[in-house]
Amino acid sequence: MKFANRELRNKLAAEYVLGTMSAHARRRFEINLKENPALRRAVSEWEKRLMPLALALPEVEPPPRVWQAIESRIRASRQARSGFWESLSFWRLSSIATGLVALALLTLVMVPGPGVPPADGIRMVVVMNDLKTRNPAMTVSWEPGKPGKRVMRIRVLGHAEMAPGTAWELWMLPGKDQKPVSLGLITTHDAQTVIVPEPLAAKLDRAQGLAMSVEPSGGSPTGSPTGPVLYAGPLVET
Amino acid sequence: MTAMDAEQLSELLSRCVLRDQRAFKTLYHYSSAKLFAVAVRITRRRDWAEEVLQESFINIWNHASGYNAAKSAPMTWMTAIVRNRALDLLRRPREVEIDEGHEDLMASIPDESPGPEELLKQSIEAGALAECMKQLTGEQQKSIALAFFNGLSHGELARQMQKPLGTVKTWIRRGLERLKSCLDARGI
Repeated sequence: MKFANRELRNKLAAEYVLGTMSAHARRRFEINLKENPALRRAVSEWEKRLMPLALALPEVEPPPRVWQAIESRIRASRQARSGFWESLSFWRLSSIATGLVALALLTLVMVPGPGVPPADGIRMVVVMNDLKTRNPAMTVSWEPGKPGKRVMRIRVLGHAEMAPGTAWELWMLPGKDQKPVSLGLITTHDAQTVIVPEPLAAKLDRAQGLAMSVEPSGGSPTGSPTGPVLYAGPLVET
Repeated sequence: MTAMDAEQLSELLSRCVLRDQRAFKTLYHYSSAKLFAVAVRITRRRDWAEEVLQESFINIWNHASGYNAAKSAPMTWMTAIVRNRALDLLRRPREVEIDEGHEDLMASIPDESPGPEELLKQSIEAGALAECMKQLTGEQQKSIALAFFNGLSHGELARQMQKPLGTVKTWIRRGLERLKSCLDARGI
């Protein structure tokens, strides 16, 4: 591996974060950054060390036109392409290691068990990552395309804990300009099933992804996610 | 503007993953003046700073899912995005050389803006970081502050401080090393 030397990684990361590199050196460094997790870690450690310095700068209010420009750009991009995939950059940039874990998980959910349809049927699979650790945290799979309801098989990985007085709510992210749709509350049990009624079934098959948010016990009072989103992942057809 | 704590900002970021535009707007409201200050300071031009801020927030919106709350505070993550944008813009090849004698550009920085060393003193509030900064020599502090706040490259630093390139590089390298071991010792 390039930059196998820890000292060198540390030195370059420090220079990059401080910002003293030339344009050329910065670009070269960024290329290496993409493929080197150890280098990324070194950079993020230096960011943690140095960025608090910026808090010393007196605030400067930007003119309103900046927000207006941002807002019109995100509106335009939402109409032009699917927003969720854009947001899931980690999915595409994920390291080979994470890719292998995801693959192993796919295999895991694909293994026919009691009640699982024969392997010739297409299945939709969502590997939902913990947005904090970026590790796979939950998988959801179902058989798409049939008339009637969908039976979603959910596996919660590891030992997740739910804070007292809260609930986990599962959301379908239809994409484009549409709001998340509640699929109901789930538990922390490692294997569970959620039934999605017929009117939502076709929409679910075409959704961009799923997300899980923490809500007050009993679920979101507003019908939209109100709490922090813990897990999310895009739909994959297998 | 009231300060928002890291947890609230990080929750807003997680809602951006759900394409929650209202959360994004709130995030902008609470962080843009701090981030704009960083961009103005480095680019030394309002128009460039506005471009940097705009691009950075588009980046934040599109990559909110890449934010890892376990690894860094939200402002750290966002400040790094803004600084990187600003530095890229500052270092991009230009037809007009602006390194020398750009009084017109410098004029767009408000005169009352504090110098890098003064800023370093103000960042004393930043606790352990400030404590550790104080352990560096004057030259180390000055060169690191100039690089961080004003976005100067090694070459620009050498010119500004009227010292050989090698000397300035050594100040920075030794200063950062000392800073790291001091922060490491404090568990930062």
